[in-house]
Amino acid sequence: MSYRPCGVYHQFYRQDHAWWQTKFVWGKMIFLGIFIFVLFPKFAGMYLISVANVVGYTILSAMGVQLLIGYCGQITLGHAAFLAMGAYTCTLLMLQLHIPYPIAMIFGGVVGGIWSVLFGLPSARVKGFYLIMTTMAAQFLTVEFFITQYVSQIGGRGVAFSIPPGTVKIGPWMIRNDLDVYYLMAILVVIFTFIMANLGRSKIGRAWIAIRDNDIAAETMGVNIVYYKLLAFFVAGFFGGIAGAFWVTSLAAVSPEHFHFGWSLWLVGVILIGGVGNIHGVIFGSLFMTLIPEGLKFFIFILTQNPFFVNIMPFLPLLLEKFLFVKEAAFGLAIVLFLIYEPNGLSYRWWQIKNYFNLWPFSY
Amino acid sequence: MAVTNEVQLKVENIHMAFGGVQALLGVSFEVKKGEIFSIIGPNGAGKTVLLNCINGLYTPQKGKVSFEGEDISRLKPYQRAQWGISRTFQKLELFRGATVLDNIRLGRHIHMKSGLLSCSLYFGKTAREEIEHRDFIEREIIDLLEIEHIRHKVVGMLPYGLQKRVELARALALNPKVILLDEPLAGLNLEEVEDMARFILDINEEERWQTTCVLVEHDMGVVMDISHRVMALNFGEKIAEGTPPEVQKNPNVIKAYLGEAEDLYVTRR
Ligand SMILES: Nc1ncnc2c1ncn2[C@@H]1O[C@H](COP(=O)(O)OP(=O)(O)OP(=O)(O)O)[C@@H](O)[C@H]1O
Ligand SMILES: [Mg+2]
Repeated sequence: MSYRPCGVYHQFYRQDHAWWQTKFVWGKMIFLGIFIFVLFPKFAGMYLISVANVVGYTILSAMGVQLLIGYCGQITLGHAAFLAMGAYTCTLLMLQLHIPYPIAMIFGGVVGGIWSVLFGLPSARVKGFYLIMTTMAAQFLTVEFFITQYVSQIGGRGVAFSIPPGTVKIGPWMIRNDLDVYYLMAILVVIFTFIMANLGRSKIGRAWIAIRDNDIAAETMGVNIVYYKLLAFFVAGFFGGIAGAFWVTSLAAVSPEHFHFGWSLWLVGVILIGGVGNIHGVIFGSLFMTLIPEGLKFFIFILTQNPFFVNIMPFLPLLLEKFLFVKEAAFGLAIVLFLIYEPNGLSYRWWQIKNYFNLWPFSY
Repeated sequence: MAVTNEVQLKVENIHMAFGGVQALLGVSFEVKKGEIFSIIGPNGAGKTVLLNCINGLYTPQKGKVSFEGEDISRLKPYQRAQWGISRTFQKLELFRGATVLDNIRLGRHIHMKSGLLSCSLYFGKTAREEIEHRDFIEREIIDLLEIEHIRHKVVGMLPYGLQKRVELARALALNPKVILLDEPLAGLNLEEVEDMARFILDINEEERWQTTCVLVEHDMGVVMDISHRVMALNFGEKIAEGTPPEVQKNPNVIKAYLGEAEDLYVTRR
């Protein structure tokens, strides 16, 4: 729960239902919009843009995971499968049938959604650990088996589908470089956030949260549990499919290793660190999980530039070369530390700070 | 409202066993529209199990539940809720992390019509619907149960008595035809008991609500005061049914409560 600044009163329920209830918040949001769409792309270099794209991709991918785990309480460890379905559907439609990118992307979302419902079906019967196993099955059956063995053979191209430059365009807008990808990403993140927030504050989101918190009470109050669980799987899979189809734009070639099991785990880590059960969690988690490793890489890079440090730590260049391992070790460490010291995630700290300032100078 | 002669809820010959434990052994009864029908009985008599069979959380091995003349035995709990059967629980089953308002809003679930697309966009239809239901909740429920001051509070943080009230509010938000109340007075202090008994009478009698109540309760004083008819269970069997004075005088009932005999006559003081 968050508090309004004191002195803000409402006359209509409409005002109490609004997202941004004061002029100040409106101002902040407008500034944020200007920053994302104008200032950042104008002043950030190519490197920062590419990092931002990874952050955005992580947000888009983790949104579905947040929906399933954080909102509906259905633990999933196979989300990369739905990203892959979206990416492959979109790519194949573009390459084989020459369908325009936006339509192919929506198809990717729908296929991801249906695929996800397929693997969500057991959730009608099983909970917790067993559901984790079935979602892991989704990962391995889809990516390691179905896509690697069969889908990749379509058109006789071998393991990867390379996307010729100029294939991806939305109307007249050709998506060629990282900056184009950045704008597409920013638009999608805004749309995803908008949809997720709206679902969260209306009938469907409340039903999901009710199932997560107390399924017996939810069912007693008239919530069709099986239907709403499957709906959660569908929307999460749809988000996943769109995210996968989006990422196609920044890949030279689509291949199964972009959607490995590690990425599914990574996404769960994102929401654990960011905070389970709210949208801020996705955004903070994605920022943290992308920026910290980048920062670490940059730090090691700086160290390797200095012969003195390389002398006392001769393994430094190797670390940089094999940075993936450092990243994964840091991931493990971060999860452990967060579970111990900040189990509610970064978003909880954010609420606390925000409420503190709203109530300032009184602490109650 | 006056009790009608129309049978609203009919339970026939319910048998329910858990492994070797026979919780219900052929219980039958009828609840008339507009009644406060109470079910009493010592601990472990099977009262909660009976409510669970009525609202569909348990499927009895034998027997039939009909609602307004239709057999609802095969329906899922959520379908029975859509038919107009709502309930509260002996051990509170609230959404503890959510606010009071959000808990009550879930009770409006079956009356909301927005689909996936309009929920995603929110503007227009869903926004209007949210306001309408908010208005309903504020005017009809929060006002009736006197919980204005806690509407934005997180339920888990509230004192027990208020949590019980929120659960009643949520059950009422469904706009039910029958409400099953499982020990709504348990654990409340005297003042809260009086409030709660008044609320039960309100939802039964007020022109606006006129809800049939099935009440499971140990507080004999209140039960005998407000019920139209009472049924007594013991070890899963019906041992008595009738008006409060009839049941109080019934020798089977007195025997069942042997040792706690004064329970039957003495109100909590
Ligand atoms: N899920 C279950 N599994 C096994 N046995 C159960 C279950 N639910 C109830 N029982 C048993 O059924 C019998 C009746 O239980 P019930 O909860 O209906 O009693 P009650 O009349 O509500 O008592 P109280 O006044 O204590 O609430 C008890 O012997 C109980 O142990
Ligand atoms: Mg009981």
